[in-house]
Amino acid sequence: MSTFFLLLTIAFYSVGLVHSFLTIITRKKTLFRVALLGIYSGLCCHALSIFFAWRETQHLPVTNVHEAFSFFAFVIVLAFLLTYARYRLESLSVFVFPLVFILTLAANLVSTPSSPQPEAFHSFLFYIHIPATFFGYAAFFLAFAAGIMYLIQEKELKRKRPQAFYYRLPSLEICDDLGYRSLSFGFPLLTIGIVAGSIWASRAWGRYWGWDPKMVWSFMTWLIYAILIHYRLSAGLRGRRAAWMSIVGFLFVLITFIGTRIQGTAHPFIRNVQ
Amino acid sequence: MNLVLVGANHKSAPVEVRERLYFPEALLPEALQELTTYYRFEEGMILSTCNRVEVLVHGLQSNDAVQRARNFLCSFHKLRMDLIQNHLYDFTQVDVVRHIFRVASSLDSMVLGEPQILGQVKSAFQTAQAVGTVAHHLNALLNRAFSVAKRVRSETGIATSAVSVSYAAVELAKKIFNELTGKTVLILGAGKMSELAARHLTSSGISHVLVWNRTYQRAVEMARVFKGEAIPPEELFRHIERADIIISSTGSPSFILNRADGERIIHLRKTRPVFIIDIAVPRDVDPEINRVNNIFLYDIDDLRNVVDANLKQRQKEAVHAEEIVKEEVAAFMNQIRALDVTPTIVSMRRHWETVFKEELEKNRRHMGALSAEQESALQNLTSSLLNKILHGPTAELKLLSQDPARADQIEAIKRMLGLKDR
Repeated sequence: MSTFFLLLTIAFYSVGLVHSFLTIITRKKTLFRVALLGIYSGLCCHALSIFFAWRETQHLPVTNVHEAFSFFAFVIVLAFLLTYARYRLESLSVFVFPLVFILTLAANLVSTPSSPQPEAFHSFLFYIHIPATFFGYAAFFLAFAAGIMYLIQEKELKRKRPQAFYYRLPSLEICDDLGYRSLSFGFPLLTIGIVAGSIWASRAWGRYWGWDPKMVWSFMTWLIYAILIHYRLSAGLRGRRAAWMSIVGFLFVLITFIGTRIQGTAHPFIRNVQ
Repeated sequence: MNLVLVGANHKSAPVEVRERLYFPEALLPEALQELTTYYRFEEGMILSTCNRVEVLVHGLQSNDAVQRARNFLCSFHKLRMDLIQNHLYDFTQVDVVRHIFRVASSLDSMVLGEPQILGQVKSAFQTAQAVGTVAHHLNALLNRAFSVAKRVRSETGIATSAVSVSYAAVELAKKIFNELTGKTVLILGAGKMSELAARHLTSSGISHVLVWNRTYQRAVEMARVFKGEAIPPEELFRHIERADIIISSTGSPSFILNRADGERIIHLRKTRPVFIIDIAVPRDVDPEINRVNNIFLYDIDDLRNVVDANLKQRQKEAVHAEEIVKEEVAAFMNQIRALDVTPTIVSMRRHWETVFKEELEKNRRHMGALSAEQESALQNLTSSLLNKILHGPTAELKLLSQDPARADQIEAIKRMLGLKDR
């Protein structure tokens, strides 16, 4: 059932993806209504897919690659819709939907059956650790997209020869603001996620911090964003440098999220303990 | 439908000709009256702007309608035909429809996509409505033209980017700051050019104006105009970091701002961006300053380049707009064609004639041989019956056909009579 809805989801998301691109290329805002319709329908199917997976496994379905990708895509779409409600930035969808599409497709392809998980997954800390981290990552992704839009638009403005991007991308102010706001949501969420995770780890496995690769990378990611936030607040860091840092920060997120996952589970140390 | 349009625009006629064809607003009612009385057109309207003069009429089913409309233009302005005839264009029927749609959508304008023309067409239409020289046909045509214009505006980007230097500057400022409300502009050199540029910015929401000038008195005067603040000549660098936008047009022979100044300004502003518009020739601001992070410098040529790029964008969008117009013309013509009731009336008459004739032949054997007089009386009887029966429906159909809004009623009658245009 879960897989069936995930298939439907990807069908709807592709409608959203195609129409997002058409909107930006033709600059016909009416087309974006179709895109939004696709996105909303996709989101509903996605929620159903996660719901059925949840019922099957009896815990939040994020414990293998298939589930984690699907859940991350879901969270990104949610974050995008929240952002869209405030900023009405159609151009953002061009960054969001390719990733959402790839994640959902990957989730469809690597459909591994969920194995029963240890008792630890029923802890409430698990339900803080995972959503907080995932929403944090989604916010960082938006900051990353805002950073890229900023750099492109800035280049257009400096070059003084307006081309396609000049007309289609939002103003520098909006890109910078979106980047900053995403950080101000993402950073506390990641902090909560890490703290909840380490308390959970100490309860389940008897230690707060394991220094497995994932933890090392998460810590570095957290550090980068901490520096960025610090300079934004104290020294008025903005614009180009802030945009670059958001982009680098998200590369760390990718390594933390996907790179370390190649070894099989979310945290290799969990497997060792098992 | 018999539409005719005669006119001249910026492409067909130089300004010397256009100004002589121009209808002052006060004379429009008189001119419209003349069209429908002396020239016996059923409907008429006149569009007269600085770039075009067009006379649009309907009615007078004859081959010389175009000629008469031309004559009207000549004689109303008391011009010799040979002086203007090479500058006039004319359209009939479907070409009128296409032309009006293109004009209203600003596809025929000197500055492609400029927004004023739609308002001008609307007011020309309203004048004609007030005088009472438009009825069903022009009503239908013009209302459709307004909705086509709206569609073009919302479905294409034809009017989205600035095509004048001043507006291009405002637009660039918005690409940097998004909103101009609450921002501060600093004017360096109180001159005509900088005043114009500042006026565009303040009307787009800039709230605070600083003026700096070599002679303080001049700065004070201009600051008063904008309800702003004059900066004493020696205090420029004490205030410069307050400005989000700097417009420079001093008569200085050398640069008054260089890269080092730019770096200092950005540092003082805690990296908040600055948009510098240098409209002075020779330039006031060292182009190197554009390399400073968060400073965006545009000189007058840069702004012109932006305008050129915007115009090219509009031309691209115009291709989509022309497709919309093409589609709408076809739809409108279909609607008009449905209004044509002549074939319906002819086939209605033929149908009843056959019915009469058949009935007459069937009953003839009961009548025996008829004299020539009786025969002709019988013929008269049937034809006058036919005329009396058909008079009502024919008159009603003709009446309906005058109003394009009732095309569906005509359709219904045609179906009812089993007379799907044969």
